[in-house]
Amino acid sequence: MVEVLKPGLFTSIQDKGRTGYRRLGVPLSGAMDTVSAAMANKLLDNSTQAAVMEFTMMGPRFQFKAPTFIAICGAGFHATINDVPIELGKATEISENDVLKIDHPDSGNYGYLAVLGGFKTEIILGSRSFYNNITKKKRLEKGDVLKFSTTTSKKIVRHASFSIDEHHFNDEAIEVYPGPEFDLLPKKFQKIIMDTTLKIGSQSSRMAYVIEGLEDISAKEIITAPVQPGTVQLTPSGKCVVLMRDAQSTGGYSRILQLTEQAICKLAQKRVGKTVYFKLIEHL
Amino acid sequence: MKQPTIKPFGEQAILIEWKPSVDNKTLTAVLQVKQLVLQTYTKEVLETVPAYSSLAVFLKKGVQQYDFINQLSKKLKKIPKAQSEISRVLHIPVCYNPKFALDIEDVAKTNNLTTSEVIELHTKPTYKVYFLGFLPGFPYLGGLDKRLQTPRKQTPREIIEAGSVAIGGTQTGVYTSSSPGGWNIIGKSPLNYFSIEKNPPALLKAGDFIKFIPISEDEYRKIKVEVDADIYTIGEEAKHG
Repeated sequence: MVEVLKPGLFTSIQDKGRTGYRRLGVPLSGAMDTVSAAMANKLLDNSTQAAVMEFTMMGPRFQFKAPTFIAICGAGFHATINDVPIELGKATEISENDVLKIDHPDSGNYGYLAVLGGFKTEIILGSRSFYNNITKKKRLEKGDVLKFSTTTSKKIVRHASFSIDEHHFNDEAIEVYPGPEFDLLPKKFQKIIMDTTLKIGSQSSRMAYVIEGLEDISAKEIITAPVQPGTVQLTPSGKCVVLMRDAQSTGGYSRILQLTEQAICKLAQKRVGKTVYFKLIEHL
Repeated sequence: MKQPTIKPFGEQAILIEWKPSVDNKTLTAVLQVKQLVLQTYTKEVLETVPAYSSLAVFLKKGVQQYDFINQLSKKLKKIPKAQSEISRVLHIPVCYNPKFALDIEDVAKTNNLTTSEVIELHTKPTYKVYFLGFLPGFPYLGGLDKRLQTPRKQTPREIIEAGSVAIGGTQTGVYTSSSPGGWNIIGKSPLNYFSIEKNPPALLKAGDFIKFIPISEDEYRKIKVEVDADIYTIGEEAKHG
């Protein structure tokens, strides 16, 4: 078990998401940057379904009540065990009563902590991913105690490590497919969308990232239709958002583009004010 | 009805689209194809999301989008004409008491009606559940009387309580969980519309019909107690065609 001493800014448990309930209006959820979350699990030889802890901007602090192994991946956070700095992107052994502190990141938004065997919080509708009104909590709080598997017999390759993939964090290209309403936009608008350097707006969250720079163009509302994480919506007033993991399942704005899975992960790590541009890839 | 078009929707999903429209015939076609896809392609399909006149099909990893689109196109050419089905009409109790109906007077004033006329016009139709979205279990309903259409509030409320029955533009619905919202609240329903303990978790499903039944504040409390104790039985009738 591990006890939360300080929850950090917004820390939650996430796995690959809650599939099968979107037709009921339940968001998919899951790790914002699935690439980094998968990397943390891989370092511990966990199943790809194992639940990890996701934190952002100000990391959490915990005390472990049992020995285990951990791995931290994702944004450039700093972490210490009992005030001794540890290396990220590497399996690290934890002893009983160790205190893990995760600080601010130098770059990126989201960090992931995997624990051997995964966090064993409750499974609701097939997933451990936190979501308001579906799981009991939407974020971790001080005093929360989380269970994890206590088998430490598994062989951990201690020398295995992943260095931070600079491209994943620094590349400004966000790869997109044309969205369902892309062809309905005037050619001139299509060009503007692809040629404009865009900025990540404040008010970006697990539900959607606000994209600034397309205020001069707009698109009609549509009859409410399915959307998914990575759908880029443009409103009649020229507001542009990219739906992220906690997005609703349907929406009434023009779906101009659709991000690749990789691009969603890259975008998730872009901070407010960072610049990006859309790079169109055609369906084969 | 014209054949729907099928196109990719990102890397691992496809979108089946009919002519954009809010009507029963289109919805019947959407739900028929949804059923067919779920029954025929269990190995390929992760889940589906229906809406008014389109259906998203999310594919499992490794399924080739274009192969799937080709297979499905052939299959859809041979789809039998939709049979008229028997649907259920659920009776949804609503207390229109001003205590809950925070905006019923505004709705009445906007439309030059009395509050009793608002209640009468709101409880008269049988509404169709087109699909669920926005909030877990939230029904997109068709059938609101034109005389009740009221623009959304200029400043949305930070919290609209679960069970609130409201009107937003041309639509009416029930907030199935507490949420920020800009619709005009005209009543409150004591039912539980989404529960992770239940299977299925949502009370309503696409294709259902509902009727709003006016109740007093006393009845509201009584039903609420029964709902919380899980002993309330929802009134139901069958509807043909």
